Amino acid sequence: MRQHRWQSTRQHAGPVNRRSGPPAYGADEHSHPTGRASRTLVSDHAACLWIPLFPLRCEEWRRPELVGLPAALLAPTDTRRAWLVSPVARRMGVQPGMTVSQAIGLCPPLTLIEPDPVHYDETFTQFLLALERVSPVIEPAELGRVFVGVDGLERLYGTPEQQIQVIAHAISGKGAEGNDAVLRLGWARGKFLSWIAAARAKPGAPLVIHAEHSAAFLARQPVAALPVGSDTHRRLQQLGLTTLADVARLPEPALVSQFGGEGRRAWRLAKGLEVEQVTGRGRPEPIVAGLDFPMPAADRLMLAHAVDRLVERALSHPRRTGWRVQTARLRARLEHGISWTTDVTLKDPSADRKRIAGPLKTRLELAPPTGAVERLAVEFVAFAPGTGELQLFARDADSAARAGRRHALHAAAREIKTRFQHSRLFHVVEVQPWSRIPERRYALIDFEP
Amino acid sequence: MVPHSRAAVRVDRLRALNVPTPVAVTVDDDGLPVEVRPSTGTVTGDDTPVATRRPAGPPPSSGRITEVLEVWRIDDEWWRVPITRRYVDVVLDGGAHVVLFEDLQTGEWFVQQP
Repeated sequence: MRQHRWQSTRQHAGPVNRRSGPPAYGADEHSHPTGRASRTLVSDHAACLWIPLFPLRCEEWRRPELVGLPAALLAPTDTRRAWLVSPVARRMGVQPGMTVSQAIGLCPPLTLIEPDPVHYDETFTQFLLALERVSPVIEPAELGRVFVGVDGLERLYGTPEQQIQVIAHAISGKGAEGNDAVLRLGWARGKFLSWIAAARAKPGAPLVIHAEHSAAFLARQPVAALPVGSDTHRRLQQLGLTTLADVARLPEPALVSQFGGEGRRAWRLAKGLEVEQVTGRGRPEPIVAGLDFPMPAADRLMLAHAVDRLVERALSHPRRTGWRVQTARLRARLEHGISWTTDVTLKDPSADRKRIAGPLKTRLELAPPTGAVERLAVEFVAFAPGTGELQLFARDADSAARAGRRHALHAAAREIKTRFQHSRLFHVVEVQPWSRIPERRYALIDFEP
Repeated sequence: MVPHSRAAVRVDRLRALNVPTPVAVTVDDDGLPVEVRPSTGTVTGDDTPVATRRPAGPPPSSGRITEVLEVWRIDDEWWRVPITRRYVDVVLDGGAHVVLFEDLQTGEWFVQQP
C-alpha cells in the first residue's frame, strides 16, 4: 500500500504548507485519546469528488429501474417523511421533509424507498478504498463527498486534468454503474475552493481551478457557498452581500465585529487567504475492549453476551470514529493460565455491532475455549476508512437531540471524574441474568465517557 | 484495615451487584429463621453463633421474621468450588421483604435483596 510506504519513508518530510510535493505529515493529537500522537498526512491541493444525493444514487445503482422515475427516499428515523428526493420528483413539486401523503398528493407515480443506511455506507467505503490506491491522503467529508489530497501526484499522473481522470477511473464500477453521469469533480488549492469547483462542475465535466484564476472564480460565487451558520447567511443577505466579492471588499474588522470568529473565517475564505488542507490519517492502532469475569465463565450464552457488549464498547472508542473494522480478534484467558484466540476478517468492513459480533460468536460456538474464561477481550486489529459516525443520521432532529443528551451526560461524567479523581458513575450490565445465584446476575462497570 | 493499593481503577473491572451481607440469624427447631440481626457473633435456635464475619456496614434489614414465603435450595458449580445454599424468602416485622440464605458449607447466614 502506498500509504504504508509514505509512513515508513517520509515520516518527517518537509513543511506542512508547501504548495506541492509529497504529502506532509503532522501529529493528530486529537485522534488519539491516550496522548500518543498518530501520524497524519496533509495536502494543500485537493480534488473534491461529490456525488449529490448519494443514498438515492446507491438505490438507483442497485435497482436500475428507478433511474428517471420520480422517487423519494424515506427518512431513516421517520418513515412518514421524505428525506431525499430525485430531481424528477422535485420538478413535480415534492420537497424533502414533506409527509408521504403530501408527496403522493403532488406526485401520484412517486416511488417511495425505505432507507438502507448500511448499504450506503458500504458503497461509500468501496469508493474510499479505491481512492486510497490513487492517493494516501483521503478525507471523507460526508456520504458521497470526499477530498483527495493531490500534492505530489503530478509526478505520477501528470496535470490536474489527468489526475482527475485517474480519480474518476479509480471509482468507476465500484458498485456504481454509470456513475460518470452523476459524479462531480473539482480540483483546486484548498478544500473550500475544490468543493466549490465540484459543486459548480457539471457531471462528467470536471472543473480545475488553477491558482491564477482562483481569485476571479471565488469572486463570482454566491455567499451561500460560505461554510457558515444559517443565521450568518441570513444576516449577510440582509446586509446586501450577495457574492464573495462583496464580502472580500469589506474590511476584515467590520466582519469580525459583526460575526466574530465566523466573520473572520468567512472574510479569509472569500479573499482566498484561507487554505484548508486535506488531512488524511494513518490507520489507527488496535482497539481493545476487555472484561474480567468475577468468576470464570464457561457458559456459551454468557460468553456470547459478553462478546456483544465488548464489540459495542470497542466500537464506541473515539479512535474508531471514521473507520470501519476489517479484522477483529477474540482473545480469552482461561483458568490455569491457558489462552485462546480467534481472528475474523470481514469481507465487507463494518462499523455495525451485529456484523462484527456475529462471526466472532460463530467462531466461539464452533471452536469454543477449552476451559472456563477468566478474561475475555475483543480487539479490532485492522481498519478500512469509513464515514464519520452516524453522519447519515446527523440531519435528523431526533438524532441531534440524542447526541445533545449524550454530550451533556459525558460532560457531567467528566466533571465528576475531575472532582473525585475517578469515575463515580456506573453502568449496570447484565452478566448472567438467568443465574440462580442472585449476585451473579448483574454487575456495575465504570461509566467512562 | 487494608491500605489502599494505589492501583488505578480498572475501567473494565466489574463490580458485582447485590452482594450477600453476613447476618446473625436465630432459627427455630425446624431450622427456619425467626429473627435476623446484625452479625455480631450471636445466635441460633439456642443462642449459638452461626455467622462470625462482621459485615462491612449495617445489615440491610434486621428484625423478627413475620412470614416465611418460600424455601429452596441450590447446589451449583460442584465441578469447581461447590456452592450449596438454602434460601429462605421472608417478610420482616415492619414489612421488609428480604432473602436469607444459609451457606451449607460453612453454616453462615447472609441476607440479599430479592
